[in-house]
Amino acid sequence: MSIAIRRFGLVFLLVALAIAQDRPTFRVKVDMVVLSFQVTDSKGHYKNGLKPGDFRILEDGIPQKLNTFAEGNKPPLQIATDGAVPAAVPAPAEGGSGVVDTRSDAFVGTNVFVLFDTSNYMYRGFVYASDAIADFIRGLDRADSVAVYTYSRNLSRAAPLSKERTDAIGGLRKAVAGDDSALYNSLLLTLRDAAKVPGRKVVIVFSNGPDNASMVAPDDVRAVAEDEGIPIYVISTNEVNKDPISSNVFKRISNRTGGKSYFARTWQKQVEAFEAIREDLGNSYTVTYYPQPNPNEGFRKISVEVVSDVGKKYRVQCRPGYRPRGGF
Amino acid sequence: MRLAWIVVSLSLSADIGAAQGRAPSQADDVWRLEVQGEAAQAQTRLRQAAAATNASPAALRAYAEFLDRYRDPGTREAYTRLTQALDRGNIPAADKAAIYRRLAGLDLEAGDRAAAERHIAAYAAAGGTGLSLPQAGPSGEAQAVYIEIPGPWLSFARMAALSPDLKPDDLLPALARNVVTNGYQATSAAEGLEQTEYLKLIVRYLSQARELAKLSGEDKMVRVETCDSTNTGDLLRVLGYRIRGACGSDLVLETVNASRAFLTIDSGFPLEKLEEALRTNRPFTLDYHPARVPLIYDLDYWQTVKDRAQGEFIDNFLGDPALCRLYLALSKLDPDTAAELRKQIPAARLKVYAHVLDFFGGMFEVRDGKAVVPGGARAEKAWADLATVGPDKGAAFFEKLISKDDGWLASYYDALARINGPVKDYLTEPERLKRFYGAIRGKVTSPGPARPVFRSNTDMLLLTTRLRLDPDGKPHLPGGLEVWKNLFVNHPRGKYDAKLTRAAPSWKDGDDVLEALFGLARKMAENEALKIFMALSDVERGRSTPLQPATVERLAREYRDMSAQYTIFAEAPGLTDKTILQFLDTAHSISGIRDPGLRADAAGTMQALAGLWQILLRQNSITQADSDGTLSALLESFGKIQNEREVFDSGMTGVRLLLKDTHSPANVSPQDRMIDLLAGTAVENSSDTHQQMIEEMIRIFEAQRLVSLSTLFDLADNLDSVSRGEKLNTALAGRLASRISEVQLPRTSITGEEKSALAFGYWTERHIDFQRKINLRATIDKAANDPQKLKDLRGQLAPFLRDTLVGLNYVHYAPPGAQVLHTNPLFVRSHDFIGIQGSEQTWKRTEVFGSGWPANAGGRLVGSLSTLPYALGEAEQNFLIPSKEQALIWGDLVPQMILTGTIPRWWNVSPLQIHWVGANMAYAEALIADSTLSTQRRAAVEAVLNDYAPPARLKKMDAALARGDVRGALDNVVPAEMYLLACDLAPGDKESPLAAGLRKMAAENPEALSKQTISRTFGTPKPTLANSFQPELLNLRTFPTLMGYSSRILAESWESNLLYYAALADEIHAAPAQLNVLVPEWTQQTVERIFATNLEDWPALLRSLRTLGQEVRDKAQKQGSQAAD
Repeated sequence: MSIAIRRFGLVFLLVALAIAQDRPTFRVKVDMVVLSFQVTDSKGHYKNGLKPGDFRILEDGIPQKLNTFAEGNKPPLQIATDGAVPAAVPAPAEGGSGVVDTRSDAFVGTNVFVLFDTSNYMYRGFVYASDAIADFIRGLDRADSVAVYTYSRNLSRAAPLSKERTDAIGGLRKAVAGDDSALYNSLLLTLRDAAKVPGRKVVIVFSNGPDNASMVAPDDVRAVAEDEGIPIYVISTNEVNKDPISSNVFKRISNRTGGKSYFARTWQKQVEAFEAIREDLGNSYTVTYYPQPNPNEGFRKISVEVVSDVGKKYRVQCRPGYRPRGGF
Repeated sequence: MRLAWIVVSLSLSADIGAAQGRAPSQADDVWRLEVQGEAAQAQTRLRQAAAATNASPAALRAYAEFLDRYRDPGTREAYTRLTQALDRGNIPAADKAAIYRRLAGLDLEAGDRAAAERHIAAYAAAGGTGLSLPQAGPSGEAQAVYIEIPGPWLSFARMAALSPDLKPDDLLPALARNVVTNGYQATSAAEGLEQTEYLKLIVRYLSQARELAKLSGEDKMVRVETCDSTNTGDLLRVLGYRIRGACGSDLVLETVNASRAFLTIDSGFPLEKLEEALRTNRPFTLDYHPARVPLIYDLDYWQTVKDRAQGEFIDNFLGDPALCRLYLALSKLDPDTAAELRKQIPAARLKVYAHVLDFFGGMFEVRDGKAVVPGGARAEKAWADLATVGPDKGAAFFEKLISKDDGWLASYYDALARINGPVKDYLTEPERLKRFYGAIRGKVTSPGPARPVFRSNTDMLLLTTRLRLDPDGKPHLPGGLEVWKNLFVNHPRGKYDAKLTRAAPSWKDGDDVLEALFGLARKMAENEALKIFMALSDVERGRSTPLQPATVERLAREYRDMSAQYTIFAEAPGLTDKTILQFLDTAHSISGIRDPGLRADAAGTMQALAGLWQILLRQNSITQADSDGTLSALLESFGKIQNEREVFDSGMTGVRLLLKDTHSPANVSPQDRMIDLLAGTAVENSSDTHQQMIEEMIRIFEAQRLVSLSTLFDLADNLDSVSRGEKLNTALAGRLASRISEVQLPRTSITGEEKSALAFGYWTERHIDFQRKINLRATIDKAANDPQKLKDLRGQLAPFLRDTLVGLNYVHYAPPGAQVLHTNPLFVRSHDFIGIQGSEQTWKRTEVFGSGWPANAGGRLVGSLSTLPYALGEAEQNFLIPSKEQALIWGDLVPQMILTGTIPRWWNVSPLQIHWVGANMAYAEALIADSTLSTQRRAAVEAVLNDYAPPARLKKMDAALARGDVRGALDNVVPAEMYLLACDLAPGDKESPLAAGLRKMAAENPEALSKQTISRTFGTPKPTLANSFQPELLNLRTFPTLMGYSSRILAESWESNLLYYAALADEIHAAPAQLNVLVPEWTQQTVERIFATNLEDWPALLRSLRTLGQEVRDKAQKQGSQAAD
């Protein structure tokens, strides 16, 4: 889908330099927005079973028309222009080649990117962490795809995105420990890879916290995740108070992207954290929409409202917004 | 038929001038197409002619030779077809013989000995002589003694951080090096050494591997039949795991013993396969044969009886770093020399000097029982005097060399053996040889140059490499003798050397100065005069007229503060003394500005303009003739900056000047034109590539939220009008405001107090904050019609202009991927021209600062823009993703690789020049293949390579040739050496058609294919070795790692990448302009494929380069096949 929009950024330079005073009009492709969120009651319990009509999605206060709606790992439902819900979007065949479907709105399940810290900082807890991640991968919904990336000073794509759990665990078990930690560089590269995959995706960072080699700052990476609509979950193997700077950064990047952070020093707590993430993924709602015309070229604020009376007491957790992508 | 044959032969022979007068033939047309870059079309024509029924031998030969020049995989087949048609034509016997000879070489390259034998017989039948097929002897590996290491090789390699791509012969040397450099550390309590965590893990792994080996039984296979087999528990216990859940699909393996489990994972045990087997109740088997690793010499040489009783070889080896050092040292020698040393010197004695032998023994060579010495027969007596044993004593001479003066004499030998040509002759003149060694040695020899982790004779190596002689045969002294006398007597800061200061007034000639410099070369500190000498020699290297003594004097005295800027002068030999001095004056004037904000804006703007000038000069958009005038004019107004308005005006004037001197059209948009120029001046048929580059540059410019030059200049003009009473152009002001709104201060997690304490980034944050707060309309209102205030308004645009100009430099040098530039929108704005408080970094080298500091706003660059390309490569290198498990990006080497791929541009390169490199590579490959068959040829090839490859590598190549292993021989020659080999031998080779083709190309295009032009076109920038970013080929031996530079100089001496890429482009028939996009891509891919074991592992780089080459060829071939279908 394309819409007409006025732009002064990237495209401006291409043509407008020759037409100094005029604001040219260009047609630019606007990407479909994929938005995942969880609804909980006042006690923090997930609320399931809500329908598309129970929600109102706004971008900078402008109501959006939903394209698809999905709950948990159920197949997404196509929303008609009148708001009716006629049919589920055909899902890719089960038990296929393990290749991830590339249709932008035909996704079922979540594309999970696990980013595992294998730097010197993880030396002690390395094998327990590996066990916890393996358990998490085994417990993922069959519809989910998973990739395992590891990092120290550099990123390593240990297992590419696949539905095959054995591949993912095989990649995980081949990780090599050692060297500096470039968490934010690696998180950025993971987000760049995740952004290329259509559908719903999350990044789960499993880290000890410190970073002694990154060139990019956490907030720049967070901005990329926000813009791409990729929630970041963080499991830190450090105690929350032990490294307050890293802890604060973890909280900030996960909250701002619609994810969560967990501080789990022991193996048991790590398993619990993974369980909580799995629950989060299984209890999320995912909608897609093509943004309505909006002159705002900067950060667009997203809000999700539960319109039913009972729902007014519910709490919705989702990313706060995004910046529309530039392009030629 | 005979006539056609002759025509084709003539067309390929530069030696036969009679061909020039005849009418154009198909062969002429094809040749024209070939040199004009229409290789695909030429190939189609030749293929069609060759495919015809009853195709003439001439047509078949033309096609085969064409394919040969492009190293096409179909070459051998085409020659084979040609031989089948040879009897049809009346072909001279000599030509027939040449064809069979080439085919035999190709057969051996393909590993087909039987065919080679047939073709050699046919060669002889055609009257050829002197060729013989060597016996297919075993490789050195097959003859070696082997040791066993418990467990599979790959598991051990993972634990020991060894590349899985290492050749068997290189395994133990690589392990030895890792043990020497990473295996031991000094204990805090005593003088002894203790094992590092790296070595402790290897030792623990060996213990686990032995346990597993026991479980594997007689047949060395680890087996588990079913989940509840009795040995399942034993295996899991050794691995450190246990079963959770019952046998079947619920079974999971979990850690029970963390240290064992760590070894299991770290060594790559296939745990997931074991788990899967247990879950599915299927058998699990693992081949657990021990790794067999070749050993040089037999075990008796390395182990005493006592050692043997205490454990296996590998245990002794890991436990004795001195033994590892000796093994490493001996593995670097050529086998014959090593054997001589072994005969002459007992192992225990050799072990004492293993560190010297390791660092400086690589060039040792015993030939016919005599030691080969730099300077040859003329210098033998001098070497004998120095070593107290003559070179005629062979190994005994080298024994003295390594044991004398803590290794200084050996390091001197090594430095001189690495160079060639007149400088070597000069330095090895007997009296001089002794005199300069006396200076190096000094009175106290300790500590020796082999004591530290890296070789510490760095400066000696650099001095001997970079010294040059004047036409009168005397050493070149920048500025003349008096300058150097004066420098040593009235040194700018501190003392150089009291003795030298006293001696300097009586110096008579260049040798006196050189003696002093050699004396300084052994010092790690207080050797500034030596560094000045090398830097100024580089500045003068390309100049037609030397600098005035006064200029040299000033450059020398300001070296400490301004030397980072000298790369600009070295790259522009057309600069006059006046402009160089003007540059220094301007820099001083800017440094004198008291307000740090204004100073940073002035310095940033001036340096960015000079940087743009440098780029445009390098790309020939500004000519050498104009270069001086342009730079001088750029600098003029920066010499008297007093406020921000003057900074802006100077910047704007500078941009307009650059546009004018690059012959830009009058009304062109400054932004468009500047981007266009920076992408490189495009030629016809390159528009797609050019557009692609421009788009990427604009993406980065936009990602940095920079304001275009056009907007800034239009706004400045408008503000000028406002000062004359006109109204503000709200559209323009709105455009600036819109961009300002996108600029957000970086968020940090440290408190203001902490930030003040660090005092880092303060001025860049102020710089950004100032921009965010700009409100032109409010400022105009505040000015309240005061003409002066209104006039100064455009000064508010100065910080924006600074960032835009600095950003254009960043954009030009952006590394492939440019993740930092795309992700951190404040990266350019954060460039810190002031630096940490008290460090005065405004004119120093560009450095990366603040990485790995999550509380900060990301890394940033600090200092001047002088070494921006390297700093950007350094910032970006860790975003590259190694494609091999366990591999890491090779810091120190990779930034140089990156800048080699980003600085040169190939818009003005002709297809002929690319084909020239490709055809030379093809010829070199043919030469090496031919060397297996002809001893005469082999001698000629080895004589050339002797100037570039160390004896050990040459011997390896020779051994491979001697057993007919062409591939093995080629593995020991790097692309830069291949190119030089071809250039050296083609002019005199009257037999090879490939050589004839090269001569023809060179004769028809002497200028385009001159050494100088090719050097400039396919050379690499060498900011450390040559103090210049100007690409060039220096044809040096590959350097080792050096103290103070790690692998950086090694990377600069590596000149193979671009030559290899050019040949690759020629093979796939890529247009020259495409290199502008392909080379950065290929560079990234090459870097990502490197799996190096240590900091000198350039063979890993070569492997990566060749892997990439094969992938590119395969892809091109696949595309070609698809297109044909």
